Amino acid sequence: MSKVYFSTWRGEQINNMGKPESQWEKSAYNLPEEYNEHSHAKAFIGWDGLALFNPDVDVVRLATEYAAQYQVYSEACGRCAPGRWGGRILYDLLDKIARGEGAASDMDHLKEVSKTMQETSKCEIGKTVPTPLLDLMTHFEHEFMACITEQKASKHYHLEDTSYIAKITAPCMDACPAHVDIPAYIEGVRDLRFDDSLMATRQTMPLAHTCGRVCPHPCETECRRTNLDEPISIMELKRLGADYETDHGFGFFHPVEKKASIGKKVAVIGSGPAGLTGAYYLALDGIDVDVYEELPVLGGEVAVGVPEYRMPIDKYNQDIEAVRDLGVNFITNTKVTADMMRQYENDYDAILVATGTRISKKVYCDNERPAIQGYWGAIDFLDKVNLQVKYDIMVPKEDQVRHMLPSNFVDLTGKTLVCVGGGFTSMDVVRCAIRANAKKVVMLYRRDEKTIIKNTTYEEYHEAVEEGVEFIFHSAVAAMYDENDVLKSLTVDRYELVPDPNGGRATLEKIEGASFEMACDYLIPAVSQSADLKLIPEEWEIERTSWATIKTNGKDYMTSRKGIFAAGDCEYGPMTIVNAVGQAKRAASVMARYVVNGEITLVDDEIMEDHLRKLKVYDKKEKITGWLPGLPRQHSEVLTVEERRDNNREVKYGFTQEEAMSEAERCMRCYYIAMVAH
Amino acid sequence: MIEFTINNQPVTALKGETILQVARKTGFYIPTMCYIEKTKPCASCRLCVVEADSVDGLILSCQTPPTQGLAVTIDSDRLQQERTNIMRLYDVNHPLECGVCDKSGACDLQNKTLEFGISAQHFSAKDQNRKIEHWGLINYDPSLCILCEKCVHVCNEIIGDDAITLQFGGYKSAVVPKNSEKLDCTFCGECIAVCPVGALVSSQFQYSANAWELTQIPATCAHCSAGCSLTYEVKHTSNSNGAKPKIYRVTNNFEVATLCGAGRFGFDFDIQASKDNELFEKAVASFKNAKAIRFSSLITNEEAMILQRLKAKMGIKLFNEEARGYQSFMSAYSSVSGKSAFSGSLDAIAQSDGIIVLGGRVSADNPAVRYAMTTAARHNGARVVYMHPLEDALLQNVITQMVRYEAGSEEGVVAMLAQTLLKNCDISDETKGFLDSLDDGYLCAESNVGDEEFDRIAASLRRAKRKTLIIGSDVLHHKRAANIARLCGLIEKYSDYSLVIIPQNVNTVGVSLICDLDQDEKISDVVGYNAKGDFIVGSLGEYDMALPSLNQQEGTFVSLNYQLLSTNVAVAFEGYCLNDITTSLGVKAENTIDYTVQLPTEKGFKAVEFDALGNFYGPLGEDNRGYQLETMDCTIDGVLEEIEDLPEFNGTVVYYSNPVNQFNGYTARTSQLEHDTSLRGSAQFAAAARLSGGERIQIEGANTVRTFILDESLKGTIALVPTFDTSFGGLPETYRFEKIKLIKVGS
Repeated sequence: MSKVYFSTWRGEQINNMGKPESQWEKSAYNLPEEYNEHSHAKAFIGWDGLALFNPDVDVVRLATEYAAQYQVYSEACGRCAPGRWGGRILYDLLDKIARGEGAASDMDHLKEVSKTMQETSKCEIGKTVPTPLLDLMTHFEHEFMACITEQKASKHYHLEDTSYIAKITAPCMDACPAHVDIPAYIEGVRDLRFDDSLMATRQTMPLAHTCGRVCPHPCETECRRTNLDEPISIMELKRLGADYETDHGFGFFHPVEKKASIGKKVAVIGSGPAGLTGAYYLALDGIDVDVYEELPVLGGEVAVGVPEYRMPIDKYNQDIEAVRDLGVNFITNTKVTADMMRQYENDYDAILVATGTRISKKVYCDNERPAIQGYWGAIDFLDKVNLQVKYDIMVPKEDQVRHMLPSNFVDLTGKTLVCVGGGFTSMDVVRCAIRANAKKVVMLYRRDEKTIIKNTTYEEYHEAVEEGVEFIFHSAVAAMYDENDVLKSLTVDRYELVPDPNGGRATLEKIEGASFEMACDYLIPAVSQSADLKLIPEEWEIERTSWATIKTNGKDYMTSRKGIFAAGDCEYGPMTIVNAVGQAKRAASVMARYVVNGEITLVDDEIMEDHLRKLKVYDKKEKITGWLPGLPRQHSEVLTVEERRDNNREVKYGFTQEEAMSEAERCMRCYYIAMVAH
Repeated sequence: MIEFTINNQPVTALKGETILQVARKTGFYIPTMCYIEKTKPCASCRLCVVEADSVDGLILSCQTPPTQGLAVTIDSDRLQQERTNIMRLYDVNHPLECGVCDKSGACDLQNKTLEFGISAQHFSAKDQNRKIEHWGLINYDPSLCILCEKCVHVCNEIIGDDAITLQFGGYKSAVVPKNSEKLDCTFCGECIAVCPVGALVSSQFQYSANAWELTQIPATCAHCSAGCSLTYEVKHTSNSNGAKPKIYRVTNNFEVATLCGAGRFGFDFDIQASKDNELFEKAVASFKNAKAIRFSSLITNEEAMILQRLKAKMGIKLFNEEARGYQSFMSAYSSVSGKSAFSGSLDAIAQSDGIIVLGGRVSADNPAVRYAMTTAARHNGARVVYMHPLEDALLQNVITQMVRYEAGSEEGVVAMLAQTLLKNCDISDETKGFLDSLDDGYLCAESNVGDEEFDRIAASLRRAKRKTLIIGSDVLHHKRAANIARLCGLIEKYSDYSLVIIPQNVNTVGVSLICDLDQDEKISDVVGYNAKGDFIVGSLGEYDMALPSLNQQEGTFVSLNYQLLSTNVAVAFEGYCLNDITTSLGVKAENTIDYTVQLPTEKGFKAVEFDALGNFYGPLGEDNRGYQLETMDCTIDGVLEEIEDLPEFNGTVVYYSNPVNQFNGYTARTSQLEHDTSLRGSAQFAAAARLSGGERIQIEGANTVRTFILDESLKGTIALVPTFDTSFGGLPETYRFEKIKLIKVGS
């Protein structure tokens, strides 16, 4: 709910003209009333209407500025005839009226050009820019006509009392935690300009190979094409640019040229997606970056957590090399301690903590004792599998004994493995267990099939089922049984979903008498992970969240201690790669300014980004016009079960060129322009 | 097949076809300004919007495939209104300089403005001052540019230079060189061809003629074996010596075909002479006394036929080592494949999703092959394996795997390739035995191509469905050419690869089919026709008597596609021609083209009169040029020989290869093409040969002095030496790698 004077946003018709402020009807939307802590907004104008927050807004100037933002400042477009020339004409005519030189016929021409732009523009930006302008011309016609008939400038035309801040967005870009310019990279594919595609991705997302494979793609949930038929296969199209660079042995297509060194130094702790991303954008800004990594290999959980068959290491290494290409210095085999952090605070201009969440949480059952052999945390299990598969780093002797392995790699021949989970990590565990030749692999999950698909992906779940993983839904481990500290069996409770008679959320209730016992050799808890924050010196008193992660305000990612920043899972809790990337990108941007001037600031683009996310760009009720429905989403081929079950070949082939083209052509280029006057 | 209707008439679309493509195919007109069939839709003009039932708003027909049962309307008042408004927008501030604009009379903007009846500027916007760019052979005027993006698309998708891009900036958008200040490209001029307005123009042609003054002469390019279609545009000059016909420019049907810079800018190689009877008699006498005629493949089929008749009548020998090399290569190939011609073509390359290239510098040897490869790489995501001792920077955005082998080791490499590609194929026991017996260790070590590289080739092409093996001209004159040819035949026969062998010259194929060639014996009493001899006739080198150039003759060529193509006289030649001489010798014909119908049918030619040959593309891109030669069955009696010890090329080694757009003496004497005669080598070569950039050198035995240029894009120890500037031009008739001695020339 927002307090507005006037609003046409998303079709609402709120007009509080002439009413005392106390009686103003409110808007149903989260409009940016406050631009930032220093400034109230005067108006918001965008693709779907506009809102005025006070009566004193110069609507003619507002319209002119909006057209100007589109035409003069926007570099996103200029690629279609109606948008390119139409936009210019809109601006010229509006400015002519605003400065007091307009004619009545200009209003007609404005409407005529608007209509052609709305009907025929290439992307939504051209189609929607006229929308709020026509709203203004309709509802405030008298103000426009006053300028024309009296041949006088609009009321604030000569005053520089207002800032007009614009931002290009799109539903998918808004939904993406890294705000990747998705329409641009898809356009690169469609136009067969794969270098442009990759550079568009890398503006905010350095891990193009990775997020072209293992991103849970929240963007696709908010893809506007869904309103017409099916969402675009956004994630996979990202691979084409990255593959182009790799296949042809080009250097690295960075989005901008790296700045010369500015003589500032930053330490990044952890080389996972957040660490890599932070390092990448800091380095692009001319900052010297040292990345400290505890493990002998770079890449964090994507390297040692995500299995080879989903994320081939040679592709991930390409993403890592792109970061190294900017001169980032990587230091492996170095577990950072509190003492080292104290030292780094002196040695560096800022520190980014990006250590992830690497402690497997317990399942909370009876007799859950780490001493029991066969009880093996998911993170450590995946470490051992991946270090061997991807890097030929074998399981050390003491771990072989500890985990009852017959040799120096994870070989589960003849063994039964039970995993408790339901998220990506647990899927990785069970599918790796299949590849490690386990006799039987069981996944226990408290909720149902629908929820596991929602938490992971449809493909992931079905591929696991195909490979032979047995899923037991509505179940949980109640107790572990051991003989001489060797795991032998489990008691599994069964649950059912009981609807709340009062209409509230259904609750899970144990079914009495349905519990059963199950023999097994391994129990892998993969319910969640927590952060190991022992590296933070206690006397720094850095604030934590209630989930025991590092607390920031979620906007600038500085911790409660000046100069110490945190991003990724150690800040948010276990989440997605793209979330870590988005946070680290923002943190890097804030840090790049901080190391220069010691201040914590957000630029307008970032402020607008946050406003728009709150407002939400995607409208699932919107009716789509101008596009033919019924063009099916493409699906890339995957290896058959027989081809993939016993090895680590990448399961997905990725799109063929033909599939990629068909898919890219479905993209509707839903760019929008939003503007705040404050 | 998708059935739908356009204006209530039932039509069908194939998978992947758009509404616009179906409309054009079935004769419906939808206006466009930015559409070009051979690239991905630019989708910038928006004129092609159509209406469809059940869809709110207008849909873009150029990029939308139809759905089953859709009812499309392509004209209505509403569409007319929006299209008219778009044209009004296109006309905003378009400079009113049609009077002097090159494009006037053939301008899409002019045509559409008239079509939509736009008689005045309806909308206004502030004009901007924009600078004309001069990019060498190309001028760009941003104020005339309508930003249709056709130029950008062809440059990237078809040519592969990827040298221009659109600089976004709304109303200020412009076409700019990509990643450089000045245009850095191979100057194919395709951007000029596709420009629908006068924004991109030939700097030499600009302001020299109006479209309607030029006479169009359809012909075939004479510079390489691709046989590209082109049109010479001719007008009379108006100088004080009286009007003479002159070629003003070359154009082509850019909608479906493509032309390289040599074809487009290298057109003024015609010569002139008058009828000198004394000289003519001398020529006739020389032919009469000749023991042999030595000739090049820059010759029409008809002339080749004349020479063959002369041989039959007078018992003289015919020397053409270049064509003879190709002829023997093909004959060895046929002895295994059982066919007179290979299965691939330029089209097959363009449609491939897997390509292996071996033994040629295709970007310079045959640009059409490069363009087909670019098309395949961009449009089909083709995996492209490039096997050669020298890298080619121009192909970086096409190649997915570079395999460098040692110069001279082609026989071993092709054998290993056969082993790789035929691994799971159903081959004869004999072949299997041969492949199994290969000494992998030796071949890999000596060719310097590791086992793992062959494994990678197999892996990378595993999923490809349409594959082509391209064999360059390096191997045609290799000591072991015959066995290499048999191995190529083997691969083609048993694998799912189609095969293309690149002939060197415009009519190497024709000559090889028509003439019974003799081994060149370096004897005296030889008449040279565009080749060395005691008496030389022709239009190349230092001839004793001039005969017309290839743009001054009518006749036919056979392209690498084994397609017979006709060419015509762009500028009439006043002197005598070969037929005049041979008619005096009793091999009589009224006109040279009388021989067209007589070309040997047993070699696949058809008995078609010259005047019955088409030379155009149909409205939907149908190839109506000449005819396709019949592929003849051949006896399979070829026996694979054991691979010989691989030769070594140590010391100072050069590779004969021309710069892009240069091929022979014809291109060498044109006025617009760059004449870079330098020897280019890598830093490694410079160190080995103790040379530094800018030094003047001479290859021992050759008389051309060259400047050494240190080329950063090159690697390895082999330098590139051009041949187009030597007496007759053209690549050597011997193996293209050679160990040489360099002599420094004092400055």
